[in-house]
Amino acid sequence: MSLYKQMVIVLTSIGIISGALLVSVNLLTKDRIASNKQKEIEAAVLRVIPGTKASQKIYEEKDFTVYQGKDDQGNLLGFAINTAAGGFQDKILYIFGLNIQLTRISSLYVLNQKETPGLGAKIANERAFLQFWEGKECSRPLSLRKPPVEKEKLAASEVNTITGATVSSRAVLSSVNAALEKIKKLKEGGKLNVEGDHGE
Amino acid sequence: MDLLTLFAASILINNFVLYYFLGICPFLGVSKKVDAAFSMGVAVTFVMTLTAVVSWTINHWILIPYKLEYLQIVAFILVIASLVQLVEMFIRKTSPPLYQAMGIYLPLITVNCCIMGLALLASLKEYSFPETVVFGVGAGIGFTLAIVLMAAIREQLEMADIPQTLKGAGISLIVTGIIALAFLGFSGMIK
Amino acid sequence: MLRETMESRSPLQEFTKGLWLDNPVSRQLLGMCSTLAITNAVINGIAMGLAVGFVLLFSSLLVSLARKFVPSQVRIATYIVIIASFVTIADRFMAAFFPPISKALGPYVPLIVVNCIILGRAEAFASKNSVGRSIVDAMGMSAGYIIALLILSSVREILGNGTILGFRILGSWFEPWIIMILPPGAFITLGILIALAFQIERKAKQRR
Repeated sequence: MSLYKQMVIVLTSIGIISGALLVSVNLLTKDRIASNKQKEIEAAVLRVIPGTKASQKIYEEKDFTVYQGKDDQGNLLGFAINTAAGGFQDKILYIFGLNIQLTRISSLYVLNQKETPGLGAKIANERAFLQFWEGKECSRPLSLRKPPVEKEKLAASEVNTITGATVSSRAVLSSVNAALEKIKKLKEGGKLNVEGDHGE
Repeated sequence: MDLLTLFAASILINNFVLYYFLGICPFLGVSKKVDAAFSMGVAVTFVMTLTAVVSWTINHWILIPYKLEYLQIVAFILVIASLVQLVEMFIRKTSPPLYQAMGIYLPLITVNCCIMGLALLASLKEYSFPETVVFGVGAGIGFTLAIVLMAAIREQLEMADIPQTLKGAGISLIVTGIIALAFLGFSGMIK
Repeated sequence: MLRETMESRSPLQEFTKGLWLDNPVSRQLLGMCSTLAITNAVINGIAMGLAVGFVLLFSSLLVSLARKFVPSQVRIATYIVIIASFVTIADRFMAAFFPPISKALGPYVPLIVVNCIILGRAEAFASKNSVGRSIVDAMGMSAGYIIALLILSSVREILGNGTILGFRILGSWFEPWIIMILPPGAFITLGILIALAFQIERKAKQRR
Protein backbone atom coordinates (compact mmCIF):
# COMPACT_ATOMS: atom_id res chain seq x y z
CA MET A 1 0.00 0.00 0.00
CA SER A 2 1.23 3.49 -0.66
CA LEU A 3 3.16 5.38 1.93
CA TYR A 4 0.50 8.02 2.13
CA LYS A 5 -2.20 5.46 2.86
CA GLN A 6 -0.07 3.84 5.49
CA MET A 7 0.58 7.15 7.22
CA VAL A 8 -3.09 8.00 7.28
CA ILE A 9 -4.05 4.59 8.63
CA VAL A 10 -1.42 4.65 11.33
CA LEU A 11 -2.25 8.16 12.47
CA THR A 12 -5.96 7.48 12.47
CA SER A 13 -5.62 4.26 14.44
CA ILE A 14 -3.32 5.89 16.97
CA GLY A 15 -5.81 8.71 17.24
CA ILE A 16 -8.67 6.31 17.82
CA ILE A 17 -6.81 4.19 20.34
CA SER A 18 -5.61 7.13 22.38
CA GLY A 19 -8.99 8.80 22.06
CA ALA A 20 -10.63 5.69 23.47
CA LEU A 21 -8.08 5.46 26.28
CA LEU A 22 -8.53 9.09 27.24
CA VAL A 23 -12.29 9.06 27.14
CA SER A 24 -12.39 6.02 29.41
CA VAL A 25 -9.90 7.53 31.83
CA ASN A 26 -11.96 10.68 31.93
CA LEU A 27 -15.14 8.75 32.64
CA LEU A 28 -13.44 6.82 35.39
CA THR A 29 -11.89 9.80 37.15
CA LYS A 30 -13.90 12.93 36.51
CA ASP A 31 -16.47 12.40 39.23
CA ARG A 32 -13.79 11.68 41.76
CA ILE A 33 -11.85 14.77 40.78
CA ALA A 34 -14.92 16.98 40.94
CA SER A 35 -15.86 15.65 44.34
CA ASN A 36 -12.31 16.14 45.61
CA LYS A 37 -12.53 19.78 44.65
CA GLN A 38 -15.95 20.07 46.21
CA LYS A 39 -14.83 18.44 49.45
CA GLU A 40 -11.89 20.77 49.71
CA ILE A 41 -14.04 23.87 49.46
CA GLU A 42 -16.65 22.45 51.80
CA ALA A 43 -14.02 21.59 54.37
CA ALA A 44 -12.64 25.11 54.14
CA VAL A 45 -16.07 26.71 54.49
CA LEU A 46 -16.84 24.47 57.45
CA ARG A 47 -13.70 25.64 59.18
CA VAL A 48 -14.44 29.33 58.84
CA ILE A 49 -18.20 29.24 59.47
CA PRO A 50 -18.46 27.03 62.52
CA GLY A 51 -21.59 24.91 62.82
CA THR A 52 -22.24 24.85 59.09
CA LYS A 53 -24.07 21.79 57.85
CA ALA A 54 -24.71 22.95 54.31
CA SER A 55 -22.76 25.41 52.24
CA GLN A 56 -23.72 27.10 49.01
CA LYS A 57 -21.92 29.26 46.50
CA ILE A 58 -23.81 32.53 46.20
CA TYR A 59 -21.47 34.72 44.20
CA GLU A 60 -18.57 34.00 41.92
CA GLU A 61 -16.08 35.99 39.98
CA LYS A 62 -12.41 35.48 39.25
CA ASP A 63 -10.44 35.13 42.48
CA PHE A 64 -13.45 36.07 44.59
CA THR A 65 -16.12 33.56 45.58
CA VAL A 66 -18.67 33.95 48.33
CA TYR A 67 -20.29 31.03 50.11
CA GLN A 68 -23.04 30.98 52.69
CA GLY A 69 -23.24 28.46 55.48
CA LYS A 70 -26.45 27.20 57.03
CA ASP A 71 -27.10 24.91 59.96
CA ASP A 72 -29.35 21.88 59.67
CA GLN A 73 -32.44 23.96 60.37
CA GLY A 74 -31.66 26.14 57.40
CA ASN A 75 -30.68 29.17 59.46
CA LEU A 76 -28.06 31.33 57.86
CA LEU A 77 -24.91 31.23 59.97
CA GLY A 78 -22.48 33.36 58.04
CA PHE A 79 -20.49 33.88 54.88
CA ALA A 80 -17.14 32.71 53.66
CA ILE A 81 -15.03 34.52 51.12
CA ASN A 82 -12.52 32.54 49.06
CA THR A 83 -10.13 34.94 47.44
CA ALA A 84 -6.49 35.61 46.57
CA ALA A 85 -3.82 38.08 47.63
CA GLY A 86 -0.80 39.08 45.57
CA GLY A 87 2.03 37.68 47.64
CA PHE A 88 5.79 37.88 47.54
CA GLN A 89 6.25 35.22 44.88
CA ASP A 90 2.83 34.32 43.62
CA LYS A 91 -0.84 34.40 44.58
CA ILE A 92 -1.87 33.51 48.11
CA LEU A 93 -5.19 31.67 48.10
CA TYR A 94 -7.09 31.92 51.35
CA ILE A 95 -10.56 31.83 52.84
CA PHE A 96 -12.11 33.71 55.74
CA GLY A 97 -15.47 33.62 57.47
CA LEU A 98 -17.81 36.48 58.31
CA ASN A 99 -20.89 36.78 60.44
CA ILE A 100 -24.19 37.63 58.79
CA GLN A 101 -23.88 41.33 59.46
CA LEU A 102 -20.41 41.38 57.91
CA THR A 103 -19.02 42.98 61.05
CA ARG A 104 -16.84 40.22 62.47
CA ILE A 105 -14.30 37.79 61.03
CA SER A 106 -14.62 34.33 62.51
CA SER A 107 -11.30 32.98 61.26
CA LEU A 108 -8.96 32.92 58.29
CA TYR A 109 -7.07 30.04 56.67
CA VAL A 110 -4.51 29.99 53.93
CA LEU A 111 -5.31 27.41 51.26
CA ASN A 112 -2.35 27.72 48.94
CA GLN A 113 0.76 29.84 48.97
CA LYS A 114 4.23 29.89 47.47
CA GLU A 115 5.92 32.32 49.82
CA THR A 116 9.46 31.90 51.08
CA PRO A 117 9.62 28.83 53.31
CA GLY A 118 10.41 29.77 56.90
CA LEU A 119 9.55 33.41 56.35
CA GLY A 120 6.55 34.45 54.30
CA ALA A 121 5.22 30.91 54.42
CA LYS A 122 4.52 31.45 58.10
CA ILE A 123 1.27 33.13 57.13
CA ALA A 124 -0.17 29.65 56.77
CA ASN A 125 0.81 28.86 60.32
CA GLU A 126 -1.79 28.95 63.06
CA ARG A 127 0.47 30.14 65.82
CA ALA A 128 2.42 32.67 63.80
CA PHE A 129 -0.38 34.43 62.00
CA LEU A 130 -3.79 32.86 61.67
CA GLN A 131 -4.80 32.97 65.33
CA PHE A 132 -4.69 36.75 65.28
CA TRP A 133 -7.53 36.88 62.78
CA GLU A 134 -10.06 35.16 65.00
CA GLY A 135 -12.97 37.33 66.05
CA LYS A 136 -11.65 40.49 64.49
CA GLU A 137 -14.04 43.38 64.22
CA CYS A 138 -14.27 44.52 60.64
CA SER A 139 -16.92 47.19 60.29
CA ARG A 140 -13.95 49.41 59.59
CA PRO A 141 -10.79 48.41 57.69
CA LEU A 142 -8.30 46.30 59.62
CA SER A 143 -4.76 47.42 60.29
CA LEU A 144 -1.45 45.74 60.97
CA ARG A 145 0.36 45.89 64.30
CA LYS A 146 4.08 46.14 63.87
CA PRO A 147 6.07 44.99 65.82
CA PRO A 148 3.80 42.14 66.87
CA VAL A 149 2.41 42.05 70.43
CA GLU A 150 0.56 39.49 72.53
CA LYS A 151 -2.85 38.53 71.28
CA GLU A 152 -4.64 40.18 74.22
CA LYS A 153 -2.94 43.51 73.60
CA LEU A 154 -4.25 43.79 70.03
CA ALA A 155 -7.11 46.20 69.38
CA ALA A 156 -10.31 44.71 68.00
CA SER A 157 -9.41 45.60 64.46
CA GLU A 158 -5.66 44.97 64.59
CA VAL A 159 -3.71 41.97 63.34
CA ASN A 160 -0.08 41.13 64.06
CA THR A 161 2.50 41.15 61.31
CA ILE A 162 5.04 38.35 61.09
CA THR A 163 8.60 39.41 61.68
CA GLY A 164 10.56 38.85 58.49
CA ALA A 165 7.38 38.42 56.46
CA THR A 166 6.00 41.93 56.31
CA VAL A 167 5.25 41.75 52.62
CA SER A 168 3.23 38.55 52.90
CA SER A 169 1.31 39.73 55.99
CA ARG A 170 0.57 43.05 54.39
CA ALA A 171 -0.57 41.37 51.20
CA VAL A 172 -3.12 39.31 53.07
CA LEU A 173 -4.33 42.30 55.07
CA SER A 174 -4.92 44.59 52.12
CA SER A 175 -6.59 41.76 50.28
CA VAL A 176 -8.94 41.14 53.23
CA ASN A 177 -9.81 44.82 53.46
CA ALA A 178 -10.52 44.93 49.74
CA ALA A 179 -12.64 41.79 49.98
CA LEU A 180 -14.62 43.27 52.88
CA GLU A 181 -15.36 46.42 50.94
CA LYS A 182 -16.40 44.36 47.98
CA ILE A 183 -18.79 42.11 49.83
CA LYS A 184 -20.37 45.06 51.61
CA LYS A 185 -20.98 46.74 48.27
CA LEU A 186 -22.37 43.55 46.80
CA LYS A 187 -24.76 43.16 49.70
CA GLU A 188 -25.97 46.74 49.46
CA GLY A 189 -26.43 46.38 45.75
CA GLY A 190 -28.47 43.24 46.35
CA LYS A 191 -26.09 41.20 44.22
CA LEU A 192 -25.67 38.42 46.75
CA ASN A 193 -28.32 35.76 46.17
CA VAL A 194 -28.88 35.23 49.84
CA GLU A 195 -31.76 32.94 50.68
CA GLY A 196 -33.54 32.98 54.01
CA ASP A 197 -31.81 36.09 55.17
CA HIS A 198 -32.61 36.29 58.86
CA GLY A 199 -30.41 39.04 60.14
CA GLU A 200 -30.20 42.36 58.42
CA MET B 1 -2.40 41.97 38.27
CA ASP B 2 -2.12 44.53 35.52
CA LEU B 3 -0.38 43.64 32.30
CA LEU B 4 2.80 45.61 32.84
CA THR B 5 3.32 44.03 36.26
CA LEU B 6 2.63 40.61 34.81
CA PHE B 7 5.15 41.27 32.05
CA ALA B 8 7.90 42.33 34.44
CA ALA B 9 7.09 39.51 36.84
CA SER B 10 7.35 36.83 34.19
CA ILE B 11 10.80 38.06 33.17
CA LEU B 12 12.36 38.61 36.57
CA ILE B 13 10.42 37.22 39.48
CA ASN B 14 8.89 34.13 37.97
CA ASN B 15 11.60 33.54 35.39
CA PHE B 16 10.80 30.41 33.47
CA VAL B 17 14.27 28.94 33.79
CA LEU B 18 15.32 30.14 37.22
CA TYR B 19 11.99 29.85 39.04
CA TYR B 20 9.83 27.39 37.14
CA PHE B 21 12.74 25.13 36.10
CA LEU B 22 11.57 25.01 32.51
CA GLY B 23 13.77 24.83 29.46
CA ILE B 24 16.80 23.46 31.29
CA CYS B 25 17.86 21.05 28.52
CA PRO B 26 18.31 23.71 25.84
CA PHE B 27 19.49 26.11 28.51
CA LEU B 28 22.47 23.89 29.28
CA GLY B 29 22.92 22.63 25.75
CA VAL B 30 22.90 25.81 23.73
CA SER B 31 24.35 28.32 26.12
CA LYS B 32 28.00 28.01 25.14
CA LYS B 33 28.16 31.03 22.89
CA VAL B 34 26.29 34.26 23.33
CA ASP B 35 25.07 34.65 19.74
CA ALA B 36 23.85 31.08 19.56
CA ALA B 37 22.09 31.58 22.87
CA PHE B 38 20.48 34.76 21.68
CA SER B 39 19.20 33.11 18.49
CA MET B 40 17.73 30.30 20.52
CA GLY B 41 16.11 32.80 22.84
CA VAL B 42 14.54 34.71 19.98
CA ALA B 43 13.24 31.52 18.38
CA VAL B 44 11.76 30.40 21.70
CA THR B 45 10.11 33.76 22.35
CA PHE B 46 8.58 33.71 18.89
CA VAL B 47 7.17 30.21 19.29
CA MET B 48 5.98 31.01 22.80
CA THR B 49 3.98 34.01 21.67
CA LEU B 50 2.33 31.97 18.94
CA THR B 51 1.66 29.14 21.35
CA ALA B 52 0.12 31.54 23.87
CA VAL B 53 -2.35 32.72 21.26
CA VAL B 54 -3.24 29.32 19.86
CA SER B 55 -3.36 27.42 23.15
CA TRP B 56 -5.61 30.01 24.78
CA THR B 57 -7.93 29.93 21.79
CA ILE B 58 -8.18 26.16 21.72
CA ASN B 59 -8.56 26.00 25.47
CA HIS B 60 -11.34 28.55 25.70
CA TRP B 61 -13.20 27.96 22.47
CA ILE B 62 -13.05 24.18 22.26
CA LEU B 63 -11.78 22.40 25.35
CA ILE B 64 -13.65 24.22 28.09
CA PRO B 65 -17.01 24.76 26.38
CA TYR B 66 -17.20 21.09 25.42
CA LYS B 67 -15.88 19.85 28.76
CA LEU B 68 -12.82 18.35 27.13
CA GLU B 69 -10.28 19.66 29.63
CA TYR B 70 -8.80 16.20 30.05
CA LEU B 71 -7.58 16.43 26.46
CA GLN B 72 -5.51 19.47 27.32
CA ILE B 73 -2.14 17.71 27.41
CA VAL B 74 -2.63 15.97 24.08
CA ALA B 75 -4.09 19.04 22.42
CA PHE B 76 -1.37 21.39 23.61
CA ILE B 77 1.56 19.22 22.65
CA LEU B 78 0.11 18.57 19.18
CA VAL B 79 -0.45 22.29 18.72
CA ILE B 80 3.12 23.02 19.75
CA ALA B 81 4.60 20.33 17.51
CA SER B 82 2.58 21.58 14.54
CA LEU B 83 3.40 25.23 15.23
CA VAL B 84 7.10 24.47 15.37
CA GLN B 85 6.86 22.54 12.11
CA LEU B 86 4.98 25.40 10.43
CA VAL B 87 7.38 28.03 11.75
CA GLU B 88 10.33 26.02 10.49
CA MET B 89 8.84 25.64 7.01
CA PHE B 90 7.88 29.30 6.93
CA ILE B 91 11.34 30.50 7.87
CA ARG B 92 13.01 28.13 5.44
CA LYS B 93 10.93 29.46 2.56
CA THR B 94 10.94 33.14 3.34
CA SER B 95 14.38 33.78 4.71
CA PRO B 96 17.16 31.24 4.12
CA PRO B 97 19.77 33.29 5.98
CA LEU B 98 17.48 33.44 9.01
CA TYR B 99 16.96 29.72 8.68
CA GLN B 100 20.70 29.23 8.69
CA ALA B 101 20.98 31.25 11.86
CA MET B 102 18.24 29.70 13.95
CA GLY B 103 16.66 26.90 11.98
CA ILE B 104 18.51 24.12 13.72
CA TYR B 105 17.15 25.07 17.09
CA LEU B 106 13.54 24.90 16.03
CA PRO B 107 12.99 21.14 16.23
CA LEU B 108 14.51 21.22 19.70
CA ILE B 109 11.91 23.72 20.81
CA THR B 110 9.14 21.15 20.58
CA VAL B 111 10.49 19.36 23.62
CA ASN B 112 11.44 22.55 25.33
CA CYS B 113 9.51 22.44 28.57
CA CYS B 114 9.09 26.21 28.35
CA ILE B 115 6.50 26.10 25.62
CA MET B 116 4.36 23.36 27.09
CA GLY B 117 4.87 24.90 30.50
CA LEU B 118 3.59 28.22 29.22
CA ALA B 119 0.41 26.68 27.85
CA LEU B 120 -0.19 24.73 31.04
CA LEU B 121 0.57 27.56 33.46
CA ALA B 122 -1.55 30.08 31.60
CA SER B 123 -4.41 27.60 31.73
CA LEU B 124 -3.80 26.80 35.40
CA LYS B 125 -3.78 30.44 36.39
CA GLU B 126 -6.83 31.09 34.26
CA TYR B 127 -5.29 34.06 32.52
CA SER B 128 -7.37 36.04 30.05
CA PHE B 129 -6.28 36.32 26.46
CA PRO B 130 -4.23 39.52 26.82
CA GLU B 131 -2.72 38.17 30.03
CA THR B 132 -1.72 34.93 28.32
CA VAL B 133 -0.05 36.74 25.45
CA VAL B 134 1.83 39.08 27.77
CA PHE B 135 2.81 36.10 29.90
CA GLY B 136 4.11 34.30 26.81
CA VAL B 137 6.17 37.20 25.54
CA GLY B 138 7.54 37.94 29.01
CA ALA B 139 8.38 34.30 29.62
CA GLY B 140 10.24 34.11 26.31
CA ILE B 141 12.20 37.24 27.11
CA GLY B 142 12.97 35.84 30.56
CA PHE B 143 14.27 32.65 28.97
CA THR B 144 16.40 34.67 26.55
CA LEU B 145 17.76 36.75 29.40
CA ALA B 146 18.69 33.68 31.41
CA ILE B 147 20.27 31.83 28.50
CA VAL B 148 22.28 34.83 27.31
CA LEU B 149 23.52 35.49 30.84
CA MET B 150 24.53 31.86 31.10
CA ALA B 151 26.32 31.93 27.75
CA ALA B 152 28.23 35.07 28.65
CA ILE B 153 29.40 33.48 31.89
CA ARG B 154 30.29 30.21 30.20
CA GLU B 155 32.36 32.01 27.60
CA GLN B 156 34.39 33.41 30.48
CA LEU B 157 34.50 30.05 32.23
CA GLU B 158 36.18 28.55 29.17
CA MET B 159 39.30 30.40 30.14
CA ALA B 160 39.09 29.56 33.81
CA ASP B 161 40.81 26.64 35.45
CA ILE B 162 37.96 24.40 36.51
CA PRO B 163 38.55 21.01 38.14
CA GLN B 164 37.97 18.20 35.69
CA THR B 165 35.10 16.79 37.71
CA LEU B 166 33.10 19.96 37.64
CA LYS B 167 33.50 20.63 33.94
CA GLY B 168 30.37 20.58 31.87
CA ALA B 169 27.10 19.98 33.64
CA GLY B 170 28.48 20.33 37.14
CA ILE B 171 29.76 23.87 36.95
CA SER B 172 26.92 24.97 34.66
CA LEU B 173 24.31 23.92 37.17
CA ILE B 174 26.15 25.51 40.07
CA VAL B 175 26.48 28.76 38.14
CA THR B 176 22.79 28.58 37.29
CA GLY B 177 22.07 28.18 40.97
CA ILE B 178 24.01 31.32 41.75
CA ILE B 179 22.18 33.26 39.05
CA ALA B 180 18.89 31.92 40.44
CA LEU B 181 19.98 33.12 43.87
CA ALA B 182 20.58 36.58 42.46
CA PHE B 183 17.20 36.59 40.77
CA LEU B 184 15.52 35.74 44.06
CA GLY B 185 16.33 39.29 44.95
CA PHE B 186 13.69 40.43 42.51
CA SER B 187 10.89 38.85 44.54
CA GLY B 188 8.59 41.24 46.26
CA MET B 189 9.66 43.97 43.87
CA ILE B 190 6.12 44.17 42.71
CA LYS B 191 3.22 44.52 45.12
CA MET C 1 31.48 -0.53 30.73
CA LEU C 2 28.43 -0.05 28.61
CA ARG C 3 28.59 -2.63 25.84
CA GLU C 4 28.49 -0.83 22.56
CA THR C 5 26.07 -2.92 20.55
CA MET C 6 22.63 -3.79 21.84
CA GLU C 7 22.93 -7.40 20.73
CA SER C 8 25.85 -7.96 23.01
CA ARG C 9 23.90 -6.93 26.11
CA SER C 10 22.03 -9.45 28.16
CA PRO C 11 18.54 -8.61 29.40
CA LEU C 12 19.93 -8.01 32.86
CA GLN C 13 22.46 -5.55 31.55
CA GLU C 14 19.69 -3.92 29.60
CA PHE C 15 18.06 -3.22 32.92
CA THR C 16 21.06 -2.26 34.98
CA LYS C 17 22.48 0.18 32.47
CA GLY C 18 19.71 2.60 33.38
CA LEU C 19 20.81 2.52 37.00
CA TRP C 20 24.32 3.81 36.61
CA LEU C 21 26.24 3.57 33.34
CA ASP C 22 23.49 5.19 31.31
CA ASN C 23 21.55 6.86 34.09
CA PRO C 24 19.10 9.30 32.54
CA VAL C 25 19.88 12.06 35.00
CA SER C 26 23.55 11.80 35.87
CA ARG C 27 24.83 10.53 32.54
CA GLN C 28 22.37 11.49 29.84
CA LEU C 29 21.41 14.75 31.52
CA LEU C 30 17.77 14.34 30.54
CA GLY C 31 14.53 15.17 32.28
CA MET C 32 16.05 17.86 34.39
CA CYS C 33 13.02 20.10 34.40
CA SER C 34 11.01 17.70 36.52
CA THR C 35 14.01 16.59 38.53
CA LEU C 36 14.76 20.07 39.76
CA ALA C 37 11.22 21.29 40.22
CA ILE C 38 9.75 18.65 42.47
CA THR C 39 12.64 17.33 44.49
CA ASN C 40 12.01 19.68 47.40
CA ALA C 41 10.48 16.79 49.33
CA VAL C 42 11.06 13.06 49.15
CA ILE C 43 7.37 12.22 48.82
CA ASN C 44 7.15 14.43 45.74
CA GLY C 45 10.24 12.76 44.29
CA ILE C 46 8.71 9.33 44.77
CA ALA C 47 5.40 10.35 43.24
CA MET C 48 7.04 11.92 40.21
CA GLY C 49 9.39 8.97 39.78
CA LEU C 50 6.47 6.55 39.75
CA ALA C 51 4.53 8.71 37.32
CA VAL C 52 7.48 8.91 34.94
CA GLY C 53 8.05 5.18 35.32
CA PHE C 54 4.44 4.46 34.41
CA VAL C 55 4.52 6.66 31.33
CA LEU C 56 7.93 5.37 30.24
CA LEU C 57 6.95 1.75 30.61
CA PHE C 58 3.69 1.93 28.72
CA SER C 59 4.80 4.27 26.00
CA SER C 60 7.94 2.19 25.35
CA LEU C 61 5.70 -0.84 25.22
CA LEU C 62 3.30 0.66 22.69
CA VAL C 63 6.03 2.26 20.60
CA SER C 64 7.84 -1.06 20.42
CA LEU C 65 4.65 -2.91 19.50
CA ALA C 66 3.90 -0.44 16.74
CA ARG C 67 7.44 -0.02 15.47
CA LYS C 68 7.01 -2.13 12.35
CA PHE C 69 3.86 -0.35 11.23
CA VAL C 70 4.71 3.28 11.78
CA PRO C 71 6.26 5.03 8.77
CA SER C 72 9.30 7.05 9.64
CA GLN C 73 7.76 10.36 8.59
CA VAL C 74 5.04 10.26 11.19
CA ARG C 75 6.92 8.54 13.95
CA ILE C 76 7.50 11.59 16.12
CA ALA C 77 3.85 12.58 15.93
CA THR C 78 2.85 9.03 16.82
CA TYR C 79 5.21 8.88 19.78
CA ILE C 80 3.95 12.23 21.02
CA VAL C 81 0.33 11.14 20.94
CA ILE C 82 1.13 7.88 22.71
CA ILE C 83 3.18 9.60 25.39
CA ALA C 84 0.65 12.40 25.85
CA SER C 85 -2.13 9.86 26.36
CA PHE C 86 -0.30 8.04 29.11
CA VAL C 87 0.72 11.29 30.76
CA THR C 88 -2.94 12.31 30.79
CA ILE C 89 -3.84 8.97 32.36
CA ALA C 90 -1.19 9.40 35.05
CA ASP C 91 -2.25 13.00 35.70
CA ARG C 92 -5.98 12.28 35.94
CA PHE C 93 -5.36 9.23 38.12
CA MET C 94 -3.26 11.26 40.52
CA ALA C 95 -5.77 14.10 40.66
CA ALA C 96 -8.54 11.64 41.45
CA PHE C 97 -6.83 9.46 44.04
CA PHE C 98 -4.00 11.54 45.48
CA PRO C 99 -5.22 15.15 45.37
CA PRO C 100 -2.67 16.67 47.78
CA ILE C 101 0.29 15.22 45.86
CA SER C 102 -1.30 16.19 42.57
CA LYS C 103 -1.53 19.74 43.85
CA ALA C 104 2.07 19.72 45.07
CA LEU C 105 3.37 18.48 41.74
CA GLY C 106 1.15 20.91 39.86
CA PRO C 107 1.88 21.42 36.18
CA TYR C 108 4.96 19.19 36.35
CA VAL C 109 2.99 15.99 35.84
CA PRO C 110 1.57 17.16 32.51
CA LEU C 111 5.08 18.36 31.71
CA ILE C 112 6.23 14.73 31.70
CA VAL C 113 5.04 14.77 28.10
CA VAL C 114 8.06 16.89 27.15
CA ASN C 115 10.38 15.03 29.47
CA CYS C 116 13.28 14.19 27.18
CA ILE C 117 13.79 10.82 28.84
CA ILE C 118 10.56 9.40 27.49
CA LEU C 119 10.74 10.68 23.95
CA GLY C 120 14.45 9.91 23.99
CA ARG C 121 13.93 6.27 24.93
CA ALA C 122 11.13 5.91 22.41
CA GLU C 123 13.25 7.24 19.58
CA ALA C 124 16.57 5.71 20.57
CA PHE C 125 15.47 2.33 21.83
CA ALA C 126 11.84 1.26 21.80
CA SER C 127 11.42 2.02 18.12
CA LYS C 128 14.29 -0.28 17.27
CA ASN C 129 13.97 -3.11 19.74
CA SER C 130 11.69 -5.96 20.65
CA VAL C 131 8.91 -5.48 23.14
CA GLY C 132 10.70 -7.53 25.76
CA ARG C 133 13.91 -5.56 25.57
CA SER C 134 12.03 -2.28 25.48
CA ILE C 135 10.17 -3.12 28.66
CA VAL C 136 13.39 -4.04 30.44
CA ASP C 137 15.07 -0.87 29.18
CA ALA C 138 12.13 1.24 30.37
CA MET C 139 12.22 -0.37 33.79
CA GLY C 140 15.94 0.20 34.10
CA MET C 141 15.70 3.84 33.07
CA SER C 142 12.81 4.40 35.44
CA ALA C 143 14.68 2.78 38.29
CA GLY C 144 17.71 4.94 37.57
CA TYR C 145 15.53 8.01 37.43
CA ILE C 146 13.78 7.20 40.71
CA ILE C 147 17.13 6.62 42.41
CA ALA C 148 18.39 9.99 41.19
CA LEU C 149 15.20 11.68 42.38
CA LEU C 150 15.45 9.97 45.76
CA ILE C 151 19.02 11.09 46.30
CA LEU C 152 18.35 14.64 45.23
CA SER C 153 15.12 15.03 47.19
CA SER C 154 16.58 13.45 50.32
CA VAL C 155 19.47 15.90 50.34
CA ARG C 156 17.16 18.82 49.73
CA GLU C 157 14.56 17.81 52.27
CA ILE C 158 17.03 16.91 55.04
CA LEU C 159 19.13 20.02 54.65
CA GLY C 160 16.29 22.33 53.81
CA ASN C 161 13.70 21.14 56.26
CA GLY C 162 15.30 18.71 58.66
CA THR C 163 12.82 16.02 57.67
CA ILE C 164 12.43 12.99 55.42
CA LEU C 165 8.93 12.11 54.24
CA GLY C 166 7.71 14.55 56.84
CA PHE C 167 9.49 12.82 59.72
CA ARG C 168 11.87 14.96 61.68
CA ILE C 169 15.41 13.64 61.29
CA LEU C 170 17.49 16.51 62.50
CA GLY C 171 16.52 17.96 65.84
CA SER C 172 15.72 21.54 66.66
CA TRP C 173 19.40 22.36 67.00
CA PHE C 174 19.53 22.36 63.21
CA GLU C 175 18.68 25.60 61.46
CA PRO C 176 17.34 24.49 58.08
CA TRP C 177 19.13 25.69 54.98
CA ILE C 178 16.06 27.22 53.39
CA ILE C 179 18.00 27.74 50.21
CA MET C 180 17.79 24.01 49.62
CA ILE C 181 14.05 24.12 49.10
CA LEU C 182 14.32 27.10 46.80
CA PRO C 183 15.40 27.00 43.14
CA PRO C 184 19.07 27.88 43.71
CA GLY C 185 19.44 24.94 46.07
CA ALA C 186 18.03 22.62 43.45
CA PHE C 187 20.49 23.71 40.79
CA ILE C 188 23.51 23.64 43.04
CA THR C 189 22.68 20.26 44.58
CA LEU C 190 22.10 18.65 41.20
CA GLY C 191 25.32 20.16 39.89
CA ILE C 192 27.31 18.75 42.79
CA LEU C 193 25.66 15.33 42.50
CA ILE C 194 26.38 15.11 38.78
CA ALA C 195 29.98 16.14 39.41
CA LEU C 196 30.22 13.44 42.09
CA ALA C 197 28.84 10.81 39.73
CA PHE C 198 31.31 11.90 37.10
CA GLN C 199 34.15 11.70 39.60
CA ILE C 200 33.19 8.20 40.72
CA GLU C 201 33.08 7.03 37.15
CA ARG C 202 36.41 8.59 36.33
CA LYS C 203 38.04 6.87 39.27
CA ALA C 204 36.50 3.57 38.18
CA LYS C 205 37.86 4.03 34.67
CA GLN C 206 41.33 4.81 35.99
CA ARG C 207 41.40 1.67 38.06
CA ARG C 208 40.76 -0.58 35.04
